[in-house]
Amino acid sequence: MIRIYKQPLTVFSKEALPAELRSGISVKVRTFAGIFGLLLTVFTAAAQTGGDKHPVSGIVKDETNETAVGVSVRIKHSSAGVVTDVNGRYSINAANSDTLQFTYIGLQTTDRAVGSQRVINVTMKSKSSAISEVVVVGYTSKQVSQLSSSVSVISGDKLRDVTSNDVASLLQGKAPGVVVSSGSGDPTSSSSILIRGASSINASTSPLIVVDGNIGGTYNASDVESITVLKDAAATGLYGSRAANGVIIITTKMGKAGQTRIDVSSTVGVNTKTTGNFHLMNSQQLYDYQKTFETVVPSDLDHNTNWFDLAFRKGITQNHTLSASGGSEKTQYYISGNYYNEQGTLIDNSNRNYNFRTNVTTKLNDKLKLSVLLNTIYNQQTYPTDNLLYDAYLNLPYDPAYNADGTPTDGRTYPGWQGRDKENPLQALQYNFSNSRAITTNGDLNLDYSITKHLTFGTYNRITLLNDKYISYSDVRTKAGGANSGELYNQDDYSSTLLTSNRLKYDNSFGEHNLTLLAVGEGQSYHFDNALLNGKGLPPGRPVMSTASDIISNPSGGTDDYNFRKYLGQADYNYAGKYFVVGSYVHEYSSRFGSSNPSGNFFQAGASWILTKESFMSNITPISFLKLRASYGTTGNAEIGNYQALGLYSIDQSANYGGVPGAYPTQKENPNLTWEKIKTANIGLDFGLFKRIDVSVDVYQKTSSALLFQVPLPATEGYDYEFENIGSVRNRGLEVNITSRNLVGAFKWETNLNLALNRNKVLSLESGETMASPGASQPVAVGHDINDWYMPIWAGVNPANGDPQWEQLVTDANGKVTKQLTNSYANATRQFTGNSSSPKLTGGITNTFSYKGFSLSTFFNFVYGNKVYNDSRAYFDNDGLYDSYNAMVAPSGWTRWTKPGDIATEPKAVQGGNNNSNQQSTRYLENGSYLRLRNATFGYQLPTSWINSLKIRSARIFVSGDNLVTFTKFSGVDPEVDLSPPPNGPGNRVAGGTSSFKYPISRKLLFGINVGF
Amino acid sequence: MKNLRYIKLLITIGIVSVLFTACKKVEPSTAIDAKAALTNPADIYTATIGNYSELRDPDYTRSGHFLMEYPTDDIAQGQPSSDDLSRCYRYATQIPTGAHATAFWKKAYHLIFAANQIIGAIPDNATADLKLLKGENLYLRAMADFNLVRIFGRPYTQGSGSNPGIPLITDGNQSNGAPARSSVKDVYTSVIADLLKAADLMTIASTATPKSDIFASKEVAYALLSRVYLYMNDNANAIKYADLVINSGRYTLLQGSAYQGYFSAAPEDNAETIFCIRHTKTQDQGFSAIGSMYYSGLGPDGTSSLTTPGGQGNTGWGEVYASQTYVQDLDKYPADLRHSFIAPYTINGVLQLNKKLTPNTPMYYITKYSFQEGIVTLSSPVYLRLAEMYLNKAEANAKLGNSQLALDGVNVIRTRAGIPTLGLGDVGATGVLGAVLQERRMEFAFEGQRAYDLFRNNLPLVRNYPGTHSLNNVPTTNIMQTVLPTDPRVVFYIPQTEISINPKLTQNP
Repeated sequence: MIRIYKQPLTVFSKEALPAELRSGISVKVRTFAGIFGLLLTVFTAAAQTGGDKHPVSGIVKDETNETAVGVSVRIKHSSAGVVTDVNGRYSINAANSDTLQFTYIGLQTTDRAVGSQRVINVTMKSKSSAISEVVVVGYTSKQVSQLSSSVSVISGDKLRDVTSNDVASLLQGKAPGVVVSSGSGDPTSSSSILIRGASSINASTSPLIVVDGNIGGTYNASDVESITVLKDAAATGLYGSRAANGVIIITTKMGKAGQTRIDVSSTVGVNTKTTGNFHLMNSQQLYDYQKTFETVVPSDLDHNTNWFDLAFRKGITQNHTLSASGGSEKTQYYISGNYYNEQGTLIDNSNRNYNFRTNVTTKLNDKLKLSVLLNTIYNQQTYPTDNLLYDAYLNLPYDPAYNADGTPTDGRTYPGWQGRDKENPLQALQYNFSNSRAITTNGDLNLDYSITKHLTFGTYNRITLLNDKYISYSDVRTKAGGANSGELYNQDDYSSTLLTSNRLKYDNSFGEHNLTLLAVGEGQSYHFDNALLNGKGLPPGRPVMSTASDIISNPSGGTDDYNFRKYLGQADYNYAGKYFVVGSYVHEYSSRFGSSNPSGNFFQAGASWILTKESFMSNITPISFLKLRASYGTTGNAEIGNYQALGLYSIDQSANYGGVPGAYPTQKENPNLTWEKIKTANIGLDFGLFKRIDVSVDVYQKTSSALLFQVPLPATEGYDYEFENIGSVRNRGLEVNITSRNLVGAFKWETNLNLALNRNKVLSLESGETMASPGASQPVAVGHDINDWYMPIWAGVNPANGDPQWEQLVTDANGKVTKQLTNSYANATRQFTGNSSSPKLTGGITNTFSYKGFSLSTFFNFVYGNKVYNDSRAYFDNDGLYDSYNAMVAPSGWTRWTKPGDIATEPKAVQGGNNNSNQQSTRYLENGSYLRLRNATFGYQLPTSWINSLKIRSARIFVSGDNLVTFTKFSGVDPEVDLSPPPNGPGNRVAGGTSSFKYPISRKLLFGINVGF
Repeated sequence: MKNLRYIKLLITIGIVSVLFTACKKVEPSTAIDAKAALTNPADIYTATIGNYSELRDPDYTRSGHFLMEYPTDDIAQGQPSSDDLSRCYRYATQIPTGAHATAFWKKAYHLIFAANQIIGAIPDNATADLKLLKGENLYLRAMADFNLVRIFGRPYTQGSGSNPGIPLITDGNQSNGAPARSSVKDVYTSVIADLLKAADLMTIASTATPKSDIFASKEVAYALLSRVYLYMNDNANAIKYADLVINSGRYTLLQGSAYQGYFSAAPEDNAETIFCIRHTKTQDQGFSAIGSMYYSGLGPDGTSSLTTPGGQGNTGWGEVYASQTYVQDLDKYPADLRHSFIAPYTINGVLQLNKKLTPNTPMYYITKYSFQEGIVTLSSPVYLRLAEMYLNKAEANAKLGNSQLALDGVNVIRTRAGIPTLGLGDVGATGVLGAVLQERRMEFAFEGQRAYDLFRNNLPLVRNYPGTHSLNNVPTTNIMQTVLPTDPRVVFYIPQTEISINPKLTQNP
């Protein structure tokens, strides 16, 4: 499950180093190249020490009988040491009285007395139990067994079974309580992550991303060593104001001492669209349908165009990574290059990514450690243009895509074109394009200094720069560009984030009392600016701004800034590795809040108890490990965009009139605006059974108050809303994670199951208010799930006349409410449907089977108990309203009313529509549950005997399939929807759970090879 | 130890940088502090400009156009559209969650709120420049109130204004709570008071040049007063304020080719326009423009003229046309210059039909919202123009029994259009008022007047031409639609979102 091991502390002392290296330390290392020089020196240096003792040598192997490279072998209580070579061999001078100590990351430290032996071969046991592994938790690293918090860890390898460049997408179904969802199969789109339910109404619900110890930063999927998800307040609390939605910590790879590894991996595959239960009509089907309610002519059948198939293609996914890593005990490095290119299944849509990373850590001397992490990403994306997806769904099969000569038809001029949009996207795709390029650079410079044996100071500094350019071009020969004789849009964005985090840490033990104290001061400032240009009147096929003869709109641009400042203290105490207590306090300032309340204070506390270390547990052998955890604390949420507390008059271009600059009121002031406060209580239980089954169970309650809430105002107040700190939302849930080694012999079978339940309830809003957004389909109502659906309830089709029917609640003079049916949408009562877009249960299950070199893994993820609003049915399932759009084929079980007495699901089809039957109601609210075989991989590890002669360390070939099967009742192409979309503009809540003209997800079939040298 | 010095320095730098990097005050780049927005005359001027800019927001101009023009018999929608504008046209399918009514209501009240801020900030004894700005804002408020009440409140002439109107917000305070609807009468009273005061305040020295027709002025307030009084059946005042405009000498009726090109010239140069909502060349709305529904030019190859009608989808949607009955009336006089405001889409001389309905809808494109400054979808919708003053007078005189005076007004407009004048013997069965209303229809077609002209005079709106209104009927080949002035849907539903937040708002039946 997890594979991050604590770096051994000082293994080499300065004195133990060869003279050439000792002098190397004093070299002023000013440049990166200098570090490399140093690094090479370390490599070439023979790790031998002097002395009068006799030589002792041997081979070190691990449990799998593979030679262990880079194991530190040293004489206990001395500084003399060597490392094993590529064959696992070592040789050291030792006295008979010495004890050799073998240490290696991930393996149990082993001691051997020398005595009279001259050859000592060692087999080191691995630290196999997850419980003893070390995880990165915020500002510190800890053994899992010592945590008092709810934390999930996913290793890079487990993460990368699915092929994608979007780390969020890779996380889907991998950790309990982490709900990843995406509304699109577009490779340039990203997924939303929601941890333990939504606890905010208008602020963001996305978790905070921390890369390599600092907030923000960049990363690429290929470089991820591990991901740690922090869920409860004791873990997330140190991130204070921004931790309310959980924290995702991404750790990138670092080389391991002694081993020089070169790894090449290559994956190539084919992507095809998935269509689920969804089918559009062909000409004959549409003709037969439309014949029932309007005049159709036989010439409709002259063509039968499948626009949906024409808009899509087979895409190619390529993922190639070359990495080199290694180093000495003093300096480690990891250098990688990755090329990822995924073609979307929609024509002209692709995501191409070049990623370079260099991570270097070196001990400048015995007290000072330097880390330099550099990452550059160049990303090129192309987007579909000309309403391609929309036309794929809605264009009529009656209209031809190609002329007789094979050129695409033009909907505007083709005689008798019937589709509403008069648009053949294939005609425009010959000329039009939309793309972007982005350059992201991230540099970390970290220094750790040991002031005394127990006191260390660290300064962590980061610069993140982003520059991107977006271009969209519509040629004069196309519909999109025709009216303006060609259009060109250019946008340049720049952003910089500067961060410094300075940490003082005290670590000491007093007998069985172990104490760690941490103090951190941190500041972050962000700047953004952009420039936008919009030209028109361009000659055909010349998409550069200099050829534009006029502008469409005035040039525009602006800047955006925010600052954060934070101080925190944490105390961590344990007694005998048995009882653990942790407490912390955070004070934070943000420029986003009102002048009266710009700062917030947060505190956290946690405790845990390892029962299996108590003597009374020692007789209960089935239970190999048992720990109880509890934590409580407060965190905040500040993700509402900038300047939301200020009263503002807009002076942008929307405010000018007749060519004169103007200003008009756009935002109501609230000087008291401050953080959202979230209190989280968590109780957890970790236990191991028979040393085969590891189980973690967490129950939590997360209650947010002082919600950053856009109180909707009547228009008569002059503003759409006012931001206030009002209301409270509670999430309660249960999370279970089980890892079971079912078979451990030659044939191995391991199962991991994670599942999570979350129940959400809005506890209160503004005094007297029952709904936050009364007009919305998810109004956020007191006593309800935040995502409960609220709309007219569809009451089926009237058998007598085929009219649509809705429920109407009528209140008589006595206040008695009776339910009746109406065919008037205006009279239909909007009411709670009893359904929500929040899933009741989410999770994933992975099974891994291996036998000798063969391995098979299957990964399913599932979402259960949510309702999805299938919005686009209003366009292609509307009972005759839009006869210039194509219609969907009714899935089995749906029937159309045609004559009195019919018991039908679909109203009578009427030209121009049947009584607003396609308006929002529970008619389009569908079961969103699904079970998806997200990935299956079959691999073969080539036997060492074959490949050793080729100087290859390891080689594996595999075939992998993503999104192979989905089980669902949903009538659209795919039931997955974005369950927690990001706010659309500052504080502008977007309801989740709506499926609209879905870009189908890709089914991928991939072949890959991994080779290590 | 040497290193320790570096470390001390590092710690110091670290702490200092934390303290200072994050302390800088941040401000938005495209907005200013509301507290400082109205502190001096220059800022009040800027904020007044900003209030005009709210008029050109599509939520006001475009949605307002759909609400005021689409219920008329000037136009025919040739095919159903997924946009809420279809419901504005068809009456029967209207719903309380209609997008355009919601958008217009919101934007109009935001404008009223913004105007109130300035009205409240300027005392009545301020300098002439400031009083002018206050007057302009009073006008803007009155115009927004008037449009709201004619969209959401029943005609004044039904029950003498006793029906529910709209909430009246005249206080610049930050919070007005949840206001109830004032009666139609109270709203009209407030509108008139605002306009009278506005006219009073917008006094400028005789030597100074008045603001152009894209801004409010004394005459603009008078012109709207004439219309408001006409709607109230206060005919004497309708005539009085029409005369004040006509006699001001600021405006002249455009003649001949200038008239034919009324909507394509730069708005400020137009001598007939009293008030229009200026859209500059860089504020073109493209396919989202009002004109996009009415017109589509030729030229997908980029070389053909955009001013020649073409198929749907070239430069606009081209789904809403001049109604067949309107064109038939226009065709009574082939020389009528107002033929310039429609552009039948023909191929080889054959009029094209939109075949989505049976019977088919002839594609008479409308050009009143196209071609300003040569841009196909650009227009600055005209709200008040001199011709209306003549026909307001004519209608008022007709109702006062001054038949010849009424026809005199009509004949000014007919003469300008290049068609024969009417004598008392020519008026026929509908009488002088009928002749006035018919001339108003011909002159102000597509300008959002027609439905109010009929309903305030207690006349039904009759559509007897192909259009999507036939889809209300069984069978759908029956093209007849009659909307009585008493029909509940003569007014739009109050937006559901507003009712949900403000329980004091009552819904229209």
